[in-house]
Amino acid sequence: MSRRARVTAVSIVVALVAVACTPDTTEEANPASRLRVFSVYRGADAEAFRSVLDEFTRETGIEASYVGTAAFAARIQDRVRNGDPPDVALFPQPALLAEMARAGFLVPIDDGVAASIADGYADWAVDLATVEGKLFGAWYKLSVNSLVWYPPQLFAARGYEVPTTWNELRALTDQMVRDGYTPWCLGMEAFDATGWVGTDWIEDLVLRLHGPDIYDQWTSGEIPFTDERIREAFAAFSELALQPGQVAGGRRAILSVPVLDAIDPMFEEPPGCLLTRQGSFQQGELPEGLTFGPNGDVDVFVLPPMQGTTAPLLASGEIAAVFTDSEEARALLAFLASPRSGEPWAAAGGYNSPHLSFDATAYGTELDRRLGELVQSAEVVRFDGADLMPPAVGTGTFWDGMVDLVAGAPLDRVLAEIQSGYSEGTP
Amino acid sequence: MEEVDAAGSDAPLEDDAGDRRVLSPSGSLLRRLVQPGHWEEDERKAVLDELFFEGPEWRPFLFRFGSLIILSTTIAALGLISNSAAVVIGAMLVAPLMTPILAVAAALVHGQLDRLGVSIMVLVGGTIAAVATGWGISRLAPGTITAAELTSELLARTSPSILDLGVAIAAGLAGGYVLTHPRAGSSLPGVAIAVALVPPLATVGISLELGATSEARGALLLFVTNLVAIVLSAMIVMLASGFVPADTRIMVRGRLRVGLAIALLATIGVSVPLAWRTADLVGDQRFTRDVISSIREWDPAGRIIELQADIGESGASVDLVVASSRSPVPAWRLAELLAQSRDVPVEVAVEYRLEQRDEATAD
Repeated sequence: MSRRARVTAVSIVVALVAVACTPDTTEEANPASRLRVFSVYRGADAEAFRSVLDEFTRETGIEASYVGTAAFAARIQDRVRNGDPPDVALFPQPALLAEMARAGFLVPIDDGVAASIADGYADWAVDLATVEGKLFGAWYKLSVNSLVWYPPQLFAARGYEVPTTWNELRALTDQMVRDGYTPWCLGMEAFDATGWVGTDWIEDLVLRLHGPDIYDQWTSGEIPFTDERIREAFAAFSELALQPGQVAGGRRAILSVPVLDAIDPMFEEPPGCLLTRQGSFQQGELPEGLTFGPNGDVDVFVLPPMQGTTAPLLASGEIAAVFTDSEEARALLAFLASPRSGEPWAAAGGYNSPHLSFDATAYGTELDRRLGELVQSAEVVRFDGADLMPPAVGTGTFWDGMVDLVAGAPLDRVLAEIQSGYSEGTP
Repeated sequence: MEEVDAAGSDAPLEDDAGDRRVLSPSGSLLRRLVQPGHWEEDERKAVLDELFFEGPEWRPFLFRFGSLIILSTTIAALGLISNSAAVVIGAMLVAPLMTPILAVAAALVHGQLDRLGVSIMVLVGGTIAAVATGWGISRLAPGTITAAELTSELLARTSPSILDLGVAIAAGLAGGYVLTHPRAGSSLPGVAIAVALVPPLATVGISLELGATSEARGALLLFVTNLVAIVLSAMIVMLASGFVPADTRIMVRGRLRVGLAIALLATIGVSVPLAWRTADLVGDQRFTRDVISSIREWDPAGRIIELQADIGESGASVDLVVASSRSPVPAWRLAELLAQSRDVPVEVAVEYRLEQRDEATAD
C-alpha cells in the first residue's frame, strides 16, 4: 500500500540545504507530550497500525498519535522544511531516509538496538538504512511486489496451469489470446505518483534478465538507464504490455485506470483479463466478497524467473526512523525494530515482517503466511529499485519516463530523459 | 382508557352529514365517525362496512384495492425516480392503504380477531405488492439512477428520524380529529400527505432493485413508523369518539388492552431505531460544525465548496472540496486537528481547487 503514497520529490536536496540554513525549531517541547508518528498507512492499514501503537503504549506507558498521508515524500519534506518534523516516521523510500540522515535530520539508532537489528535482518536490509556507517532505520513492514494475481477457477475450467518459467508465462498468454481473452490488466494512474507501477515492472524484468548484481549496480547508479541491459528490460516490458491485445483497454487504459482498480475487470463476466502483476498490498483493495486461495476466486503466483527455477523477489516496505532525540522516540523505534511489534497487524492481515525470525504462526491470513514462507525461502530478495534511487530519479524522471513510454514516446529518448534525472538531482 | 360519555345528541344527524358527502370518497365513513358520543347500531355497521369487506363484497374490494396499490405505487415510483415532488404527492392521494390500516385499528378496538387477521393479511399483501411494484418500475427504468446517486425525493425517504414519528402521531391524531369533526374535512388530503405510506414502500422496492440495502431499510422503517403511529392514533380516536359500544368494550376488555399494549409497544419499538438514527444525525451535524471551524483554523484562506462529514463509533470521515487562491495546506494537518479532540480515527480527503484571478487592459 505504501506505493500509493509516493510523490515526486525532485528538489529534495535543494530543499534540505535550504532547511539546514534556517533556525532549527524542532527542539520545542511537544505540548501534548505524545509521540507524533507519521507515515503512509490510511484506512484499514491505519487502524491496524494504531493497534500496534496501542500495544507499544501498553508496554511502555508512552502515548503516541499517528498521522498517515497519501503523499508522504512531499509532506515529510514540507514538515522538515517548516521545522515541524514528526518524532518518528516510517519511510517507504530508503533513498529519502538516507538523504535526511545525511542532512542531519535523523537520529542514529542506539548501539544495542542496532546490534539486534543486525542480527534480526538480512544484511542487505540492514544496508538499506545505513548511512556513512551508522544505522538510521529499522524496516518495519514488508510488501512483496513480484506477484501475479489470477482467477484459479477459470484457470481450472480452461485447463491453464500456473507458469513456473518465463517461457511458460509467454506460452500461457499466447494461449489466452488464441482463446479470445486479453491476458493482462494494467493500470498506472496514481495522482502525483503515476508511473510507479511501470517502474516495478522494469525492476522485476532487470532482476530476472540480469540477476541481482547488475540490479544492484543499476539501482546504485553505476549502470545507467541507457545501458543496453537496462534497455532490454524496457523492450521486454513494451513487448509484453504495449502490444495490441495484451492489455485490457490498451495503452489509453493503462494511463487512466487507478493502480489498485486495475484488477477489477478480472472478475467481470466475461473476464476483461486473466492476469495482473501487483504487490501484496492489492489484498486490501480487492473487490468485496471474493475468496482468496488456490480454489477461490483469486490467487497469486510469483512472476516466473527467466533464469533458473527460483524466482527473485522484489520487495518494498516502510522503514522507521527517529527525528526527535528523546528517550520516548528511541523506545518506539526499539519497539518497531522488534519482531513482536508486527504481531497485532499480522493477526489482522495485510502485513509481512522483514524479520528473519518472525513467528509465522502470527499471520492471520493465508496470503500473508504464504508470502512469509516465500520471503524466507527466496534466494534473491531486492528492495524496490525506484525507492533506492535518488528521489529526482526514483520518484521523478523514472515515473515520468514510464508514462511517456506508455504514451508512445520512442524508447531511446525515454531512457535518456530518465537518466537525466541524475544530473538534475545534484545541484 | 377514560370512559366516554355515551349520552345521545338530538342534533339532526342526517342533514348535517348529507352536506359532507361530497367531501371525500369515504364520506359515509366520515359521516358516521364524526358523531361524538352516540352511535346507532346501523351507523356503526355502515362505518365498519367501509373497512371490512365480506361475502360477495370481498372479491370486488380486493380487485379495487390491488389495482389502486399497483397504480399508486407506479405513480410514486416514477415520481421518485424522476425526482418530481408533485407526482409523488399525487400518488399519496391515490393510495388505498389507509383502509386496511384503519381496519386493523377497528378490529383491535372491537376485539375481533378474525377481522384483525384478514385486515393484517390485506395490509401485508398490499405492502408486498407495493414493494414489488417499486422494484419492477426500477427494473423497467434502468440506468436512470444508481445506488450511489439517488434522487433527493428518494433520499428524503431513506433516513427517518424521531421527528417522523412525531409527524406520524400528530398526523394520525389529526386524521382522527378530521374524522370526528366534519368541518375540518378539507384537511384530509393534508393528513394523507403528512403520513404517506406508498412512497416509502416504492422507495423500498427501488432501493432493493438498485442494491441499496441500507436505504431500503431506512424507507421500510419510515413506512413501519407511519403504520404503527396511525394504528395507535386511530385506536385512540375510535375509543374516544364512542365508536366502540360500552358493552363491547367491557366484554373484550382483555383483548382491547392487549391490542392497545401491542400498538403502544410497536410505537415504542420503532422509536428506538429512530432515536439511534436521530442521534447519528445530530452527531453528524455537530461534527460538521466542528469540522467547519477546524477548516477555518486549518486554512484561513480556504473557501469550502463541498463538505461531507460523518462520525460514528469506529471512525469519522471528512470529504472536502476547498477553493483557495494560495497553495494548499496538506490534508494531514486537518486530520490531525480533528483527531486531537476525538477518540476515533479521522479519515480526510481533500480536493483542492486553485482560484486565481487576472485582469488586464490594452489599447
